[in-house]
Amino acid sequence: MKVLPADKIREALNILAGEAEVYAPLVRGDVSGYIKWTDGPGDELALDILNTYMPPKHIVMPQTENMYKFIATGKDAQVTEIVTAEGPRIIFGIRGCDLQALHALDLAFLTRGYEDEFYKARRQDLAVIARACYQPGPACFCESMGVDRLNPEADVVIHVLGEQGLAWEPKTPKGKDITAKLQGILVDKEVALPQAADMKVKVDITGLSEKLAGMFEHPVWDELSSRCMNCGVCTYVCPTCYCFDIQVHNRGEAGNRFRCWDSCMYKEYTQMAGGHNPREFKKERFRQRFLHKLQYFNERYGANLCIGCGRCIIMCPNEVNILEIINKLKEVQVDA
Amino acid sequence: MSDYTAKAREIAKKLLQDGTVAMVLGWEKGDEPFVSAPAVIRDAADVDRLVVDEYCIHDLATLLPDYRDRSEKIAIFAKGCDSRGIVRLIQDRVMPRDRLYIIGINCPGMKDPNEFIRAASGLSKAKPADKAVKCLYCQYPNPVLYDEVIGEIQQPGEDKRFAEVDKIESMSADERYEFFIKEFSRCIRCYACRNACVACNCRTCIFDETKPQWVGRSTDPVNNILYQIVRSMHVAGRCVECGECERACPVGIPLMLFNRKLIKDVDKFFGPYQAGISLEDDAVPPLSRYRVDDPDEFM
Repeated sequence: MKVLPADKIREALNILAGEAEVYAPLVRGDVSGYIKWTDGPGDELALDILNTYMPPKHIVMPQTENMYKFIATGKDAQVTEIVTAEGPRIIFGIRGCDLQALHALDLAFLTRGYEDEFYKARRQDLAVIARACYQPGPACFCESMGVDRLNPEADVVIHVLGEQGLAWEPKTPKGKDITAKLQGILVDKEVALPQAADMKVKVDITGLSEKLAGMFEHPVWDELSSRCMNCGVCTYVCPTCYCFDIQVHNRGEAGNRFRCWDSCMYKEYTQMAGGHNPREFKKERFRQRFLHKLQYFNERYGANLCIGCGRCIIMCPNEVNILEIINKLKEVQVDA
Repeated sequence: MSDYTAKAREIAKKLLQDGTVAMVLGWEKGDEPFVSAPAVIRDAADVDRLVVDEYCIHDLATLLPDYRDRSEKIAIFAKGCDSRGIVRLIQDRVMPRDRLYIIGINCPGMKDPNEFIRAASGLSKAKPADKAVKCLYCQYPNPVLYDEVIGEIQQPGEDKRFAEVDKIESMSADERYEFFIKEFSRCIRCYACRNACVACNCRTCIFDETKPQWVGRSTDPVNNILYQIVRSMHVAGRCVECGECERACPVGIPLMLFNRKLIKDVDKFFGPYQAGISLEDDAVPPLSRYRVDDPDEFM
């Protein structure tokens, strides 16, 4: 098997970064995320933590993304530039959970007869170097959400071997191209892959989507939402939450339109022009988040919009726990 | 704190059984020993869910505005900081005193469940602290307002609240600018600091207004700083120092540093004043008060 020695990982990332934008799991002060690799001081490559606090979704949908520039004079308006961001990108070290999240984003942005050109520009040349996940954490439940954490569907799969470096398995033609660029530093070697630890947390969501279809008005939402304080942490650390808002920035006659992450937890998210807000209170907003994750997306795309990474559980300031919520939703009686 | 839970359940049970209150805002255990989480109890049969232990860090007063347009009486557990939050809500006319039955908790300081969750999660190598950051400088461990109280009176620690503020004040303007840019550039605008704040109780928040939109939604240094400056200025003189904003921040911005600068200035220029420690008329925040003899001419 090909192995990338531990002391060559930086060099490998530098080589790849010469030809593409490379995003790797980095710790930068109090933040960790899939940050663009510049080999800069202060950034620490984090292959020894389970995952990053911030998800990798910004690689294909940045939190703030310019769309087009315009000049508006009187009643005339002219688009002067459409800003799409093509170019090769590589995501390094992503785990099966976050990779499945990326596939969920693909469903939302690229299927059902509509292709989002801004998303597509960033997505089409994205190569994935995914990491087989042998040691899940206590908040991980990706297997229950259908993730194959040991065999992620990627261009290259890496296996972190500790001091020995990374076992390196190209899986696709794109993966072989990337591997060819590292020919000088990859070595052939017999190595034993790590033993996979069992995932302790399990939750069965069979039939939950169908059950939820009859639970929109169920009183349990009052109880479930009572702990939530309606901030947007869960939606912003979620690798699959993809809602965005389109806004404009004007200076005189010139301006630009941009889109930015938005959150169903915010009251303004559903504020309508006439003053009405269909999700006036937190119960409605809270319910929307969980129904989108567990029902609506399944109905539309036949896939889960929760991939079991556990970030929302880890980051919620008020200890809202999606596992507890799923279990309670399964328990309650629904009147026929 | 081993006897707090039994006492808490006893009090809550009595209040629900005799109809004094319709609901109790307290804490219950989560799925790990180091997780206690906010809980709403409406039935006396459920009081055994309640717990008061060293992980009950959340300021439950933050959840009270959810019930502002209703009429039921609410029992709420309140540590020292939380009780100051309740004073805030009463003074801000969010919640009338007579709708609340306040069960005070003399608080020895809490541990932060989120620090423990993050340490256990594998996403962080940091070790959780024995005492949460927000409790380190606490000057009001005992509730300032309550109907009854649990636990022994606690002594506040040495007042070192402004040590970090003094450091920032001693920086040059350029150094300060760099410091602010560095801290705020990582803000993801999740508004957890706003929503965790008991002083942020406006029905419509300025950041949710669209006509006009006061602060742009793009995440960039300018709008992030504008957001944070407006947020902290809005709670100037009203912040009760519960530290929930900083605890809730997912990217570790030292929000209490900015709040404490304003606490220090309000105390110095308009005080002496400490927010949320009394319901007396003259305890209204200086910047929320109208006086015909105000020394500023424009008043």
